[in-house]
Amino acid sequence: MSIPNPGRIEPVLWDDWHPVAELAALRHGRRLDTGLLGRPLTVTLRADGAIDACSGPHALPHLDTRYGFVWACLGAPVRDIVKFAAADEPDRIPVTGGSMAVAASGLRAVENFLDLGHLGYVHQGYLGEEPHTDIKPYTVGPREGGGIRATGCRVYQPRPSPADTSGYEVDYIYEVHRPYIVVLYKANPVDRTRMDLIALLLQPVSEESCVAHSFMSYPPHDVNEKSVRGFQQLIFGQDRPILENQLPKRLPLDAKAEISVRADSSSAHYRRWLSQLGVRFGAIPQAPA
Amino acid sequence: MIRLYDHELSGNCYKVRLLLSLLGEQYERVPVDLHPIRENRTAWFLALNPHGQVPVLDDSGFVLCESNAILVYLASRPGVPDQWYPRNDVQALGRTARWLEFATRLSGIISAARNHDLMQEQADIGALRSKARSLLRVLDEHLWFTEQAGRGWLAGEAPGVADVACFPWVMLSGEGGIDRLPWPAIARWTDRVKRLPGFVPMSGVFPASPGL
Amino acid sequence: MNRWFAVARGTEVPRRHVGHYLLLGQELAVWRSDSGAINAWENRCPHRGVRLTLGSCEGEELRCRYHAWRFASVSGQCTLIPAHPGQKPASTVRVRVFAAVEHDGFIWVNLAQGESPTAPTRVAHVLDSTRSIFVDAPLYAVRETLLDGYPVDSTASRLAVWSKDAYCLSAGNPDHAALVTFLLQPVTDFQTVIHGALHTTVEETARLARLRRHNAAMGTVRDEAERRAAAATGGGATA
Repeated sequence: MSIPNPGRIEPVLWDDWHPVAELAALRHGRRLDTGLLGRPLTVTLRADGAIDACSGPHALPHLDTRYGFVWACLGAPVRDIVKFAAADEPDRIPVTGGSMAVAASGLRAVENFLDLGHLGYVHQGYLGEEPHTDIKPYTVGPREGGGIRATGCRVYQPRPSPADTSGYEVDYIYEVHRPYIVVLYKANPVDRTRMDLIALLLQPVSEESCVAHSFMSYPPHDVNEKSVRGFQQLIFGQDRPILENQLPKRLPLDAKAEISVRADSSSAHYRRWLSQLGVRFGAIPQAPA
Repeated sequence: MIRLYDHELSGNCYKVRLLLSLLGEQYERVPVDLHPIRENRTAWFLALNPHGQVPVLDDSGFVLCESNAILVYLASRPGVPDQWYPRNDVQALGRTARWLEFATRLSGIISAARNHDLMQEQADIGALRSKARSLLRVLDEHLWFTEQAGRGWLAGEAPGVADVACFPWVMLSGEGGIDRLPWPAIARWTDRVKRLPGFVPMSGVFPASPGL
Repeated sequence: MNRWFAVARGTEVPRRHVGHYLLLGQELAVWRSDSGAINAWENRCPHRGVRLTLGSCEGEELRCRYHAWRFASVSGQCTLIPAHPGQKPASTVRVRVFAAVEHDGFIWVNLAQGESPTAPTRVAHVLDSTRSIFVDAPLYAVRETLLDGYPVDSTASRLAVWSKDAYCLSAGNPDHAALVTFLLQPVTDFQTVIHGALHTTVEETARLARLRRHNAAMGTVRDEAERRAAAATGGGATA
């Protein structure tokens, strides 16, 4: 039995998996009333450890867990839950960063995650600072397996991670795997040959609201789960008021709707890719030519 | 040595960090993992504070919970200028106590609205926002008349713990979907607080440009 | 609409402050440059749409909070994009600005674009002004309530109020010497601000008491207008 889709939400989202709850929050007794793609959703953990989810009278047929989160599909899943190859290396330490609801389209949150120019201002003293504000050219293109990939993103950061006490120029790789799933790789401060992974998993609750779940995966060098989680919440807590003060709340896909510069190359690629994919939920589609 | 059991996103912890910074105090932050781990419900934390809430202050073994109590304690120590907690001026002291009570009302309502909007907690959000609006109207009115009388602070001639107690929850009201547009006198007061020497922001609060 | 509306008292927009106002549903960032120019801008950065009221006013420029793009007072032209500091921003990178002037103690804004706006109507002899009151009721409900009389005195009688035009009313004595002029600011279709201009002076010691009397009276008007608006829409609580 499938969930009714009266809004005719595009299959690329309806038939995909989305994160809907952090397992640790459920384990601590949480009955979660949330939403997905405009439908209500209630998630509970039963005493026997099984997870229940329903949308109104309908039990959710497709429910699974991965990376410390509960994932749901309202339609008929056409592919697996997103997988990050690096996170599956056996010695990796996974950390969930909590879930925060945001009164803005999740697509705005993805774009903000990709954005380099705000690091020195919104995250001043942590992920950037004046006068290191110029954004050097970087490369954006299609990602193998779908989505987009930005490489060669270099930013001077005064405190790139909770493990750091001094600043240096950091190399970033960004990958958008799905419309609402984005991940960032950066060199581990201890073992520069391996990458820290920070993923932002957006749960599209409505067109103008989302829940941002974060997942991190680190090589096994001095990972303090608590401080990593605290840092992530601090950083996202700085982004949230920006996201909630963007007008309009949905992401405009028309290139002329907002002025872009070269530093916004990943944003421009992301918006174009969403258009090509036919994503409408959470977006203001391009006007027909 | 002052130690603060703390969470970055807690408005009540921010009150204490703000006052410590305005007073130029060095202190150690001990982060308490609230989401999703609920370290505040573990035995070691409940031994510090049976209410299971941050912040908790530990000043060389003297342990104190409840943010307003911590503000009063910190501002009353010897060597701290009288303005922060005007214990020698009964009227200013009375007004300070009044605005500390107000801060408690405000934080109860705004934190519930914020937990609803941020943490997806259940609440009658319409009722909360309407109550917050009534409180902010009282605050705006008070601040407007304060300005007309040539002053800029909640309880007296100078900034004090009353301002520090109210500021975080006024600033975080937007995170509970509470609009501050109707209250321009509040907006000017928040600019004044942000321009105090030693002001520090928190996630969700932005600093002001330098004043003139 | 080619018409000027008072949105704030001039003294309530000090330098280095960015005021957040709404006029006819249009969000405004209102600020005064260090040299004194009054700006009323669309409250939205043209880059990524962030409200400019989150930003900061730094002399002759307003800086957006998100990427620190800077926009010049008066023109709204972008002067610096810190991601590309060596490049001069194109002339098309600018905030939408509205006509704004300050006189008679108020900041006036005209949302008309592409027309040459006429000067605002003068309010004669403004010697002081009341606290502006935000009302959760449409402008017509506020007007109707005011026209029933202004309850500024503790006596049961209310002062007569007469209408000068759709957005301006006066309250005064039986000989119609205006004691207070109400300037109505249509905020949205269901919200209104009442500004009050006073035409007489009192000694400084009596001034605060007088302002409190007006504030209480205007609060009574607000409560009544909100009650009427709620009754008219059949709802209980106000919006």
